[in-house]
Amino acid sequence: MHLYVLLPILAVMLLLQWRKVGMLVWLFVYWIGIFVILKYGFTTPVPQSVISLYMGIITFALIIYISWDKKRFRAVVDPLVAFMTRRRYTVPLVLVVVLIPSLVATSVYLSRTAPVQAPFFARTVHPATPASISAFSTDYDLATLDNPLRPLESDDPQAFARHVANGRAVYYENCHYCHGDDMTGNGQFAHGLNPIPTNFADSGTIAMLQESYLFWRIAKGAPGLPEEGGPWESAMPVWENFLTEEEIWEVVLFLYDFTDQRPRAREEVH
Amino acid sequence: MRKALLIASVAGWTIGWSAAQPQPDLGSEQQRAAGKILYDQYCSQCHGEKGDGLGVAAPYLKPKPRDFTRGKFKIRTTPTGAVPSHEDLKEIIRRGMPYTSMPDWPQFSDQELSNLAYYIKTFADDFEDPAAYGDSLQIPSPPSPSQESIDRGRQLYLNMGCVRCHGDVGRGDGSAAREQTDDWGYHLRPADMTKPWTFRGGNQREDVYRTFMTGLNGTPMPSYADESTLAPEDRWPLVDYVFSLSESPEPNYASLLKAVPAQGPIDSEGGLEQFETAPLARFPLVGQIVERGRNFYPAVVDVEVKAIYNNEDIAFLVEWNDVFAETQGSNDPSLAVPAWDPEAEDKFELLKPPAASASPSASDDPFADAEAADPFADQQQAADPFAEDQPTAATSSSVRATPYSDAVAIQFPQQIPSGNPKPYFVFGDAQKPVELWFTDLSNNIPQLYLGRGSVSLNPSDSGEPYEVKSSFDQGRWSVFFKRKRTSRRSISFQEGGFVPIAFSVWDGFNHERGNKRGLTSWFSLYLEPSQKPSVIAPMVQNGLTILVLQVLIIFGVRRKFAQRTEE
Repeated sequence: MHLYVLLPILAVMLLLQWRKVGMLVWLFVYWIGIFVILKYGFTTPVPQSVISLYMGIITFALIIYISWDKKRFRAVVDPLVAFMTRRRYTVPLVLVVVLIPSLVATSVYLSRTAPVQAPFFARTVHPATPASISAFSTDYDLATLDNPLRPLESDDPQAFARHVANGRAVYYENCHYCHGDDMTGNGQFAHGLNPIPTNFADSGTIAMLQESYLFWRIAKGAPGLPEEGGPWESAMPVWENFLTEEEIWEVVLFLYDFTDQRPRAREEVH
Repeated sequence: MRKALLIASVAGWTIGWSAAQPQPDLGSEQQRAAGKILYDQYCSQCHGEKGDGLGVAAPYLKPKPRDFTRGKFKIRTTPTGAVPSHEDLKEIIRRGMPYTSMPDWPQFSDQELSNLAYYIKTFADDFEDPAAYGDSLQIPSPPSPSQESIDRGRQLYLNMGCVRCHGDVGRGDGSAAREQTDDWGYHLRPADMTKPWTFRGGNQREDVYRTFMTGLNGTPMPSYADESTLAPEDRWPLVDYVFSLSESPEPNYASLLKAVPAQGPIDSEGGLEQFETAPLARFPLVGQIVERGRNFYPAVVDVEVKAIYNNEDIAFLVEWNDVFAETQGSNDPSLAVPAWDPEAEDKFELLKPPAASASPSASDDPFADAEAADPFADQQQAADPFAEDQPTAATSSSVRATPYSDAVAIQFPQQIPSGNPKPYFVFGDAQKPVELWFTDLSNNIPQLYLGRGSVSLNPSDSGEPYEVKSSFDQGRWSVFFKRKRTSRRSISFQEGGFVPIAFSVWDGFNHERGNKRGLTSWFSLYLEPSQKPSVIAPMVQNGLTILVLQVLIIFGVRRKFAQRTEE
C-alpha cells in the first residue's frame, strides 16, 4: 500500500463526515477518492478491468445510498437541476457541455495512439496443487506428503546438517543460474526468462507453501503446471529427469535453511 | 623481481597514482573470522572452501570462478601484476561482474564487504608481501567526448593493437581472438565493445579507463599505463572511442518485434538497406538448461531482429555478434547431445596447458612488463595475441577444431494460438507443435523442422517453404529469412495481428548443437498495419455522441422543471 496516497484520502473522507458539506460534494469526493486509491494506492498495480468492476459497484452503491432517503436525494438532485435550468449558470453550463465531449475525444486519441503492447497473460504464480502427482514411478498424495528428511531436524541434527549440505550442492550445481546465488531470483539467466524465476528470499513465496508443494514444483517443473500457471513459458525444468527423489527433498531443506524460513504447517483437520 | 616494481612504480606511475605506498592490511583475527562465516555461506560454492576456485558449481561456470590462491585479480585500480587494494576487493564483490556467474551483493554492508575482503586475502601469500602492492590509480573526472577525441581514439585503437583482439568495429572478433586464453589455459573471448552492459568491470567511462590502465591480471588484456605506450592526454580519447562503438550503455531488451511495411518488393538480394525503416528489437539469449543437452555457457548473449512485410512476403533479419564464423562442419537442432560431462567440457575449454603455477616462471611473473616497459612482454610469452603472424606449435594447436557449424532458427507455433496457451517454448510439445525456420550457416539451406518437444523434432516438408540468405561481416552474422505472408500449409501473418516468436542460436565454436544452444523465451511479433486507421473519426464520433446525450438531458430537465426556470 502507498500510505502517502491512502492516508490523505481517508483523512479527507473522515473530515467530510464531521463537517457539514453538500451531498453533491460528498458524493464527488467519495467517488474520486475510491478511484484514486484503487488506481494509485496499491504497490502492485490493480488491473484496469478490476478497477472498472469496483467502480461500477461503488457507483451503484452510491446511487442506492442517495436515492434511499428523499432528503438526500433532493440534496443531490436540486443543485444539478438548478445548474441546468437557471439562467445565471448558462455560461458555465455551456462550458461543461463542451468540456466533457472534448475530454472524451482526448481520451480516445490517447488510447488509439498509445504504443502497441505485447499481449499480456496474467499467470497464476502459485496455482492450486493437484490432489496427487506421479513422479519417480510413484504416486504421491500431495495432501499427506511430508518431507521424509524433516523429522531428522530434531531426531538427528547431524544427519540433517548433512542433508542440508547435499541440498546446497544440488542447488549450486543446478538452480542458481536462474534463482540466483542468494535465492532472490536474480541468477545470470534470469534477465532472459519470462516469467522471472521465483525469489525464495521473499517471505511471500516458500514460507507460504508446504514442502509437498515444492516437491511437486521441482519434480514436475513447468510442464506439470496447470494452464493458469502458463506451463508453456515457465523455464522450470522437470527435475525428476535430473535429480533423485532424495536430492529434491534435500534441496527443499536447503531452500528453507538458507533463507531462514519455515515451511507452512499443514492445517489441522477437525 | 618485486623490488623492480617499486623502482618502476616510482619512475613510471608517478602521474595519476596515489602517492603513499600501500602496506598490507590483513585485518584483525575477528574480522577475518567474520569474513569466513560469510564466505562459507555465500562464496565457497563457486570459489571453493580453500579459495582455489574449485567449488561445487565451478565445473558448470565460464568464466571460471576466481582462484584466490593465485593472487591474480582482474578488476583493480592497482598496477598490472599487483594485488588489488582492499577497496578494490570490496568494490568487485559489491558490484559483481555482469554476464558472468558472479552476482552483485548490494545487501552486504561496508563492514561485511571489508571482512570478506580480509578473509579472501588469507588465501594468497602475495597479500602479506609489501612488494606485491601498488598504488591505486586515481581516475580523473572524464572530459566530455568530442568527434576529435573519438577520431584520436580510433587512431590509438588501431596503432596500439587493440584491434587485434577486439576487432575493427569492436565486436571482439579480432584476428587473434580465437586463441586467447587466460593464465589457466581456458579459452577467453575478448570483450565485445558494442555491448558495454557486458563489460565485466562496469559500463562507466571510468571503468574502461581503469581497465586499460591496470590491465586484467590473468588474462591477455595488458596495462597501458606506461606513458611511452599511451600518453596521458590520449587516455580519455581511447575511452571516448570505445563508447562510440556502442549505441547505449544498456541493452534495452525488447518484448515486442514490430514488423513494418516494406517500401517495395522484398528481395533476398536486396541487402540490409530494406530493413532501414524497421525498428530494432534486441532479445536476450540464455543457455538452454531446461532439458537434456544443457548449455551452461552460451556463446551468444542476444539476437537483434528486424522485420518487414508487404502484401506478398514477410522477411526477418536476425543478427548477432560472433568471434568467428564457423562454416565448416554441420549442425542440426535434432542432434543428440551426450549427458553433460564436466571433465569433457573442461578439456574442451582448455586450449593449452595452464601457465606453470608451482614455480614462478618468466611468463608467470606479474611484474615482467613493468620492468620491460613493454605492455605486451607478458603476453608474448604467455598467450601472444599476435601469434598468427608467426604461427608456433603452441598456438596453432591451441585453436580448437569443431565439427559443428553456426546455425540459427526462428520458432513459431504451428498454429497461432486463439487464447493464452502457447506451445512449450523449448521446441514445442505433443499437443501444440512448433515450426522451426532453421538454417545451418555452413550451407544456408532452409530446413523446416516440426517440433513436438525436444525428443520429437523432425524435418518437415509439409510447411510453407522460406528463403534464407546469410552473411558474416566483422564479427556479425546477418541472416535474412523470407516467406510468403499468407499460407494454407502454415501460419499466416496478418496485418495488426500478434504471433508468438522465439529464437535459437548455435555457436559451432562453442560446440553448440541439438538442444545445446542459446534460446529466447516467447516474444511477440506484431505487424504494424500499413494503413493506419484515422484517429479523427472515432474522436468525433465519441465526442458527438456524448454532446447529443448531454443536450437531450438538459432539455429534458428544463422541460420537466420549466416552472423553476421562471422563478
